[in-house]
Amino acid sequence: MTFEIGIMTFGELTEDFATGAVPSPRQRVRETIEQAKLADDVGLDIFGVGEHHRSDFVGSAPAILLAAAAMRTERIRLTSSVTVLSSEDPIRVWEQFATIDLLSAGRAEIIAGRGSYTESFPLFGYDLRDYAELFREKLDLLLKIRDRNPLTWQGRFRSPLVNADIAPRADGDTIPIWVGVGGSPASAVSTGRLGLPMALALLLGPLSSHRETVELYREAAAQTGHDAAALPISINAHGYVGSTSQQARDVMYPYFAQGMLDNNHQRGEGFYLSRPTFDVQSSPGAGLLVGSSQEVVDKLLTYHQLYGLNRAILQVGFGGMPQKQHLEAIERLGTEVAPIVRREVAAREEKAA
Amino acid sequence: MTTTITSTVSEGGTAAGAASAAGTARPEQPNGATLRVVVVNGSPNQPSKTMGLVDAVVGTLKGMLPVQMSQIDVYRLGPGFTGAIERDDITAETTPDVEAALRLAEQADLLIAATPVFRGSYPGLFKHFFDLVDQYALANKLVLLVATGGSERHTLALDHALRPLFAFFQSMTVPVAFFASAGDFDGTVLLNPRVYGRIEMGLTDVVDLLRTRASGTSK
Repeated sequence: MTFEIGIMTFGELTEDFATGAVPSPRQRVRETIEQAKLADDVGLDIFGVGEHHRSDFVGSAPAILLAAAAMRTERIRLTSSVTVLSSEDPIRVWEQFATIDLLSAGRAEIIAGRGSYTESFPLFGYDLRDYAELFREKLDLLLKIRDRNPLTWQGRFRSPLVNADIAPRADGDTIPIWVGVGGSPASAVSTGRLGLPMALALLLGPLSSHRETVELYREAAAQTGHDAAALPISINAHGYVGSTSQQARDVMYPYFAQGMLDNNHQRGEGFYLSRPTFDVQSSPGAGLLVGSSQEVVDKLLTYHQLYGLNRAILQVGFGGMPQKQHLEAIERLGTEVAPIVRREVAAREEKAA
Repeated sequence: MTTTITSTVSEGGTAAGAASAAGTARPEQPNGATLRVVVVNGSPNQPSKTMGLVDAVVGTLKGMLPVQMSQIDVYRLGPGFTGAIERDDITAETTPDVEAALRLAEQADLLIAATPVFRGSYPGLFKHFFDLVDQYALANKLVLLVATGGSERHTLALDHALRPLFAFFQSMTVPVAFFASAGDFDGTVLLNPRVYGRIEMGLTDVVDLLRTRASGTSK
């Protein structure tokens, strides 16, 4: 498998601490499509949009943003990152992504997640107490829709389907469905048992923190009779590619700290990430993909070696980074980082073979 | 519930020399006795991760010897229980269910003390149950500690909160206690094989002792 590198965004609508300006939603959706276009132009492999239902994000309908991106791009794959499947209608999800697949000539993907944000549950009339059960059932339905048509299916959370004709179908053979995993062993085991590709989210902490998760995933896959070595794994982590190590940190830090304050609650309040803490989280053994091109290359290769990765998705701009700096990181990732990582990984795999 | 763990059967010797056999029929006790296991469950939820972990423990135990399990849900014992200030407030006439529950725990061959970790310890109702249990009824009784928590940061509640409670009762607490955190479960089903491995090991340590303590009659 060739190593794939991409970017993802939530479409933040956060006040810029430096200027006090909040981008208008109209500006932000256009900027999001511009990011996808540049990522495609510089040869990145994947573009992802996350799903959040709050006014500090513009990405509540990733499928629509991805459909717009499909019309402005040629080669890049387009994925949700993630679709909060537990509070979604799997039929609607399939129909939307199959449509993106047609618009993009077969470039659509889905990362299904349980969701680390919970706003969507009350919004769509779901009970958080059914968190695990909802995901299991809806994932089962989504996979069955993908694999056969018409479909007869029965579950707990909706009326049964009898010979349901669900259209359109995928542009090619199929649409890849990944499962987003935050690192809990049970998620890794159940994803492995299903033989689905796993997208690992890593926020802060050592870059080795998912070692056990990956091990459990491969064990579970092998025990269920899947070819564990052939299953793709992706790492999704925050980062920024700067002109120098220092510049990358200086640009990323204030926005990322703002994002943590707005989104990562501890003791009922935002969690303030101090600069020294951020710098530790940017050190060679920690998970953040921030630094010069060379630094990000080294870190991606470490990740690859550690987990046997096939894909890395860099989340740029968390906390509302202005478009100019955001685009600069995308450009460096595509032109300076991706070619070297792909080459090194190919050489490693050749050696192993 | 499917597990990849096989039942371990001791063959009349030491647990250390146990032969591993998948899907073995339930072993018969030489004297036909059944181990009377009583679970005191401190979780308010139904179903719960705490009982999910207990199910994994009892499932493994059933592969080792005949087991008869009863469960006491402290959150379902009602106002007669919560309003009791001392054991004398509980009588067979006024609160028969609570009286029966206390006696069941006092007479168990193996008591499983199972609780979620709330605010650094076991919940108050769980403690209230043991405040009403006869002070000497649990002396030399085999007690197994089981706890669940939001993350592994709560693991030591087993040894820093639960174990001292049974040290007071002078119980014979099983050395290996079992903990699982939220990420080990899918809903309330325990998935993490490492926790299963620990259960297997912890129970194998004491299986011979459990056999000698079995006092129930098998049907």
